[in-house]
Amino acid sequence: MEHILSILIFFPAFAAFIGFLVKSDSIRTYAIIVTAVEFLISLLVWYGFDSSMPDMQFLETMPLIDAYGINYVVGIDGISLFLVLMTTFMTFISIIGLTEKRALKNMVITVLFLEMTMVGVFLALDAIVFYLFWELSLIPMLYIIGAWGGNLRIYASIKFFIYTFTGSLVMLLGMLYLGYVYYVTAGSWSFNLLDWNMLILPFDMQLWLFVAFFLGFAIKVPMVPFHTWLPYAHGQAPTIGSVILAAVLLKMGTYGFIRFSLPLFPDATVHFMIPMAILALIAIVYTAMVAYAQEDIKQVVAYSSVSHMGVIILGTFALNVEGIGGSIFLMISHGIVSGALFMLVGVIYDRRHTKMMSEFGGLAKVMPKYATIFAIMLMASIGLPLTIGFVGEFLSLLGFFKVSPIFTIIAGLTIILGAVYMLVLYKKTFFGPITNPKNETLEDAKGRELVALIPLVALVIILGIYPKPILEPVNTSVKHLVQVMQIKAQQETSKVQLMSSNTIGEAK
Amino acid sequence: MIPAISIDFANLNIQTLVPMSIAIVGALVILCIDLVNKKLDKSLYIMLTVLFLIVDLAGVISYNGDVRGMFDLMMVDGISILAQAIMIIASILFILLSFTKQRFNEQRYPEFYALYLFMIAGFQFMVSSDSLILIFVGLETASMALYTIIAMHNRANAIEAAIKYFTMGALSAAFFAFGSMIFYAVTGTVEFGKISEVLFTSDFENYPLILIGVVFILSALGFKLSLVPFHVWVADIYEGSTASLAGFMSIVPKIAGFVVALRFFEIFVSSGNMFVEAILIGIIVLTMTIPNVIALLQKDINRMLAYSSISNAGFAMAAIMIGTTQATTAMFLYWILFSVTNLGAFAMLWLNRNKDYHTFSTDHALEKYAGLIKISPMTAVIFGLFLLSLAGIPPFALFWGKMYLLGAAINAGYMVLALIMALNSAIAAYYYLRPIVYMFLKEPSVEGIKFMVNATTTSKVIVASCAVFMILSIFFIQNILETISYYIQIAGY
Repeated sequence: MEHILSILIFFPAFAAFIGFLVKSDSIRTYAIIVTAVEFLISLLVWYGFDSSMPDMQFLETMPLIDAYGINYVVGIDGISLFLVLMTTFMTFISIIGLTEKRALKNMVITVLFLEMTMVGVFLALDAIVFYLFWELSLIPMLYIIGAWGGNLRIYASIKFFIYTFTGSLVMLLGMLYLGYVYYVTAGSWSFNLLDWNMLILPFDMQLWLFVAFFLGFAIKVPMVPFHTWLPYAHGQAPTIGSVILAAVLLKMGTYGFIRFSLPLFPDATVHFMIPMAILALIAIVYTAMVAYAQEDIKQVVAYSSVSHMGVIILGTFALNVEGIGGSIFLMISHGIVSGALFMLVGVIYDRRHTKMMSEFGGLAKVMPKYATIFAIMLMASIGLPLTIGFVGEFLSLLGFFKVSPIFTIIAGLTIILGAVYMLVLYKKTFFGPITNPKNETLEDAKGRELVALIPLVALVIILGIYPKPILEPVNTSVKHLVQVMQIKAQQETSKVQLMSSNTIGEAK
Repeated sequence: MIPAISIDFANLNIQTLVPMSIAIVGALVILCIDLVNKKLDKSLYIMLTVLFLIVDLAGVISYNGDVRGMFDLMMVDGISILAQAIMIIASILFILLSFTKQRFNEQRYPEFYALYLFMIAGFQFMVSSDSLILIFVGLETASMALYTIIAMHNRANAIEAAIKYFTMGALSAAFFAFGSMIFYAVTGTVEFGKISEVLFTSDFENYPLILIGVVFILSALGFKLSLVPFHVWVADIYEGSTASLAGFMSIVPKIAGFVVALRFFEIFVSSGNMFVEAILIGIIVLTMTIPNVIALLQKDINRMLAYSSISNAGFAMAAIMIGTTQATTAMFLYWILFSVTNLGAFAMLWLNRNKDYHTFSTDHALEKYAGLIKISPMTAVIFGLFLLSLAGIPPFALFWGKMYLLGAAINAGYMVLALIMALNSAIAAYYYLRPIVYMFLKEPSVEGIKFMVNATTTSKVIVASCAVFMILSIFFIQNILETISYYIQIAGY
């Protein structure tokens, strides 16, 4: 178990290299096996993970550029554990559901590289190594959108790349500055997050650094007003690209906030709490309304993603155990649900080569299984109780309720607005008479699609009813995180804020 | 009455001249061989050049520390050793690219190789002195050889390029001479060390005159380093010369220039001279930004790389302006990594040069590379990786240079400069992406186009080793940094 995290990170990349030698017609089987093994390795990590410990586990260190304090450091705690599991699981599922026929081998190899970078981001504890995986993830995604996407694919992929690249360069400046601050205080260079956590930074420095990191993370999330790349990227990406983008890549941003911004800049976090919440609220309400106006099913799901990411940000910036724990849970559930929804859109796109709602209608009659699965995912997306979507959304909102009831009520609109646009979508697509004769002979969800979708349905219901296996380890680490914030906060106001939002106990 | 000069032979320290002499002797040997036998193959000349350069390199790295000689004209300090070593290694790699399948005019002449060695000797003189006179001599020796080499390509636009370069170069030489004169007039010496002493003791008396001197020297160096606004020649001249020579020009002459700039601006940076600093910051910001924006508009990869290398020169110049030890280290690290990557990128262009193909407006038009991934996947992947490295995507080589440089800027308190650098990297990413988009995401534009027509095993090996170094660079950075810091420390910067 000693090097298990490194194995977890580099196994897909290694498999990708080997994949060059596999014949094209068997590459799908190869990919399924590789991603399954990767998922099993991550399960093994979970098995070996001691969920009563809030600290980093399975730590590994290897010097890279010692003179400048850059080391390869990886570790895992309750916050990253389930994001890693979700990543390996969703990659596995999306590979099963992969329907692409053109240049399949290139696609599979690219996805495997992408998996390495995604797992790497969640496990890296050295800022520069984190940045390395973070930037490296852009290249396979650029290729997936640009090579297999729709008509505007090149524009969409470049827009995606340039937006996120620019934001993360500013973040890099922040990281380099923090390394320097550590050098000044401790006398040696370090980019190790665990070392940085010991730093107590002056308030005004925190503000600037928070903004620098914010740009990197907010563009990735994406938060309004940096969200404009996302509808293009989703609209043009092939199904697997959208699934991975929504399920995992967006979570890198919210994960970054929790991993870097909160513990490193507690005072600045409290200071920016309300502005961040306002941005999140705008995202929630505005993009939900935009989603309602869409005519393309995929765009509805894309905008609903932005809206739900807003709830995650809101939960995170509640700065209490319920909020942060809830937002981490919501990251996982949103990963599963939005991934599933994009796959579902992919299913009808494969059959009809259109994603416009107006082209459909009455699908429930011809595709009953498909309609059922779609309905379950839709309920989970809205956040209906007993589905996975409810737990995270409820906890996030509950967390922020302690900060500001009014904000929470506005944010609660997400459930109503979500219900509106999702049910309208469902009504237009699945109910009513079959207007288009092309739809009369559509084939219901079949073999491979069901194999990919049914585990997701199962997870949505099981974790919706019994979320404890995830919530408990998450909460252990989140409690630790909140304590760290409380200890490190220096401003009187931030101390009061952190205390007051954490008084009513914890989420069960 | 003038006192008699007594020359103590030991004081001359002839050994400081050994490395350059090897290159010069090599050049003469090549010329003599050509006199005797005119039918020898170019491979002999290439390998002779490499051989002499390797001996030259051995001579350089056998030094250790601050050696002066030839009436204090020569000064082989750590910076000089480092710069010479980088220049010679880059030169060896570039001359090996002369192994091509197609026959190019300039490479048929043995004089090409002799001039190449003379040029390198010139650059070696340039970096091994802190005397304005010897720097001038080295600079002109090298430049004269370079003009001729460009012209030997013997196409209309090559001759145009050579004439353009020559005219500009002559102007910059005049500026340099004039600047030197002013400093001699103000301080009574032509050595940087002594100039600095005199200026400090006199507390920058005659400040306006000194400033005029600075402006003249800066303009002269600006031509050599292609700093904005002295950069206008670059793209035309790179386009006029062959890609391998353009790659050479984007790397080796600039290191020599940077070393001179480093020695010269040391005087003003260390004194905290606000006015000079303001001029420098202005020039650096413009040099990073303007060519970057122009590069966005280029439709030819060669021209795009030309503009991008101007912008990169701005980055390295920023390190000189910052002036801390970390910044100087960053400058050398940046330039080493940039050399490897740019060498690879220009080599890829050079190997794909096709003499018989005239469908496209220019030799390296973007459209030519459309759909390369389908025609020649390895070529596309390797070229793509070089471009990603230039764009500063981790973990490829140039990212570490950029990161260390940004770190140096931040640590010295130049936050805004660091931000401008970061934003410029973002702009640059866009134009580096364009060839990648053409290669990977578009369909081939013309049927039956051939790539790698110019490649030989040797050149493939060079590109491959650059690529391997570039991909695995993270494991070498530690050692490179240690070596650089060692030499910089013994030079006392």
